[in-house]
Amino acid sequence: MAGKTQARDRSLWMTYWLRLRSNRASVVSLIGLILLVGLAAFGPLIYTKSAITPDYKAINAQPLAAHWFGTDNLGRDTLARLLLGLRVSLIVAFYVEGLNILLGATLGLLAGYFGGILDVLVTRLADMLFAFPGLLLAILVAASFGAAVTDRFGGIGRLLLVAGSLSLVSWPLMARLVRSQVLVLREQEFVVASRSLGASDAWIIVRHILPNVAGLIAVSSTLDVAGVVVNESVLSLLGLGIQPPDPSIGKMIVDSMPFLEANPLQVFLPSAALMLIVLTVSFLGDGLRDVFDPRSLP
Amino acid sequence: MGNVILRRFVSLPFVIFSITFITFWVGFLAPGDPILSMMGGRNDQATYERLRHLYGLDQTWNDQYFRYLGGLLRGDLGLSFRYQGRPVVEIVSGGIPVSVSLGAVALVLSLSIGVPVGIWAALWQNTTAERLSMAAMLMLYSIPSFVLIPIFRWVNYQFYARGWPSLPVAGWGQPEHWIMPVLVLAAASVGYIARLTRVSMLEVLKQDYLRTAYAKGLGQNRILWVHAFRNAVLPIITVVGPSVAFLVTGAFVVENIFAIPGIGFLSVQAIQQRDYPVIQSTTVILAAAVVLMNLITDLLYSLLDPRIRVEG
Repeated sequence: MAGKTQARDRSLWMTYWLRLRSNRASVVSLIGLILLVGLAAFGPLIYTKSAITPDYKAINAQPLAAHWFGTDNLGRDTLARLLLGLRVSLIVAFYVEGLNILLGATLGLLAGYFGGILDVLVTRLADMLFAFPGLLLAILVAASFGAAVTDRFGGIGRLLLVAGSLSLVSWPLMARLVRSQVLVLREQEFVVASRSLGASDAWIIVRHILPNVAGLIAVSSTLDVAGVVVNESVLSLLGLGIQPPDPSIGKMIVDSMPFLEANPLQVFLPSAALMLIVLTVSFLGDGLRDVFDPRSLP
Repeated sequence: MGNVILRRFVSLPFVIFSITFITFWVGFLAPGDPILSMMGGRNDQATYERLRHLYGLDQTWNDQYFRYLGGLLRGDLGLSFRYQGRPVVEIVSGGIPVSVSLGAVALVLSLSIGVPVGIWAALWQNTTAERLSMAAMLMLYSIPSFVLIPIFRWVNYQFYARGWPSLPVAGWGQPEHWIMPVLVLAAASVGYIARLTRVSMLEVLKQDYLRTAYAKGLGQNRILWVHAFRNAVLPIITVVGPSVAFLVTGAFVVENIFAIPGIGFLSVQAIQQRDYPVIQSTTVILAAAVVLMNLITDLLYSLLDPRIRVEG
């Protein structure tokens, strides 16, 4: 068949892209996510109202020309805070997934491939971190080091601490997933064949193992972003994350809740932004899972 | 009673060790000198040494760890930094019954809604109503509690504004204080349990023994409740463990927003006061509660499913 030969001529990544493009939900969520990232990156440059300086003449204001989405109970511009909060959420998610890939995926890959003492150490360490349910460990770490980190390194340090403590909760899962995939891969014929031809471990990992776990890593880190964004908000609303006056979506929701009746927008706008990130990332992750599933190859 | 349970009991000390060891080290490494901040501005070397000794901070780390572990075994959680010399147990123990009863009610509620909805969805597979309800369950599962709470409050306010019966916004002590927190806590696990029950029930409905039961002319009800449900309910028991883990994180948010004096509320208060021994203790207590629940579910599961006892 003509279609089949064409499919064979295409590169693997082109095939993946075409498959992603054919899934409407994934395309819509990919566009949505790009828009959100664009808003977070360029929004504060275009909408230049201060997110921190209060406007005492407009406290708990409804949307108007000076403040497009109104203001909060201290008279701070909601749109400006929302854009910065979006930025915080996405930056934290980016750092956490970076750590997950650098730490979790790498350790899982090496542990699965080489086995032995390294494997024992990595799995035991992951098991130790798994002993804490949910966010508990992240809460403990962020609470114990938070004040000192803010004193010494300021807002950026605090942001990195939040990312670090959240990745304590999610890298063990990534390591476990990658490890179990690599355990299967390293016994496959193509790996054994490559080894019997004299290929080095580094060659096998880079040429044979990595391309086969890349999909898994991409899918699970995309899906994990949804959890990370929610968890960052939880840490911030408990007072453990981003510190005032810097905005965070979770803190915005909780701080505005006492004024819900008078000014519901201040609560529901950040909530909607948060759900938008969660939904786009979840649909994109599901779409990517189908894309990388070898059973759906043409 | 087979291997599974044996293996469980072997791994139990490891889990307990992990929790206490990591919690201890986080506390040990936490920067700042708690004694110095406890003394305020006073500069009195003798008092400083006495307090350091009282809190055991003059010992080496391994002595401190074993002292801490020994204390835990005796139910002694150490002393508070904030309230000088006051045992942490005193501070924390008031919160435990509050959190446990809140979590238990939420868990029972989510099981009693989630399981019937899941079964119903499996029996009416591929109908519009089923698809809609499963989409609703997915929504419930993915909406974070701090987004759900304002929605509930907004609806509640609309009732209040029209003079209809409405609920208090926060507080603790009256029965009506329970309704909103329990609904919010239960929401996520309802979605999770309903979806899992549906999958498990669909799996059972495909089995040969159900076709046999139909073929020999048994009634619909008998087949559903005796043959299908009893087998489908087994995997559902395993969700109790993860659900409790959900409830732990949920408790932090819900207790703090509704001002419920449970263990999540106490920990956040302790965080604001930099009372690290209290934070460590609540972490250990909550983690141990989840470990215990997982153990109970595993025991229950192997009691109910004879295959597990044999195969292990």
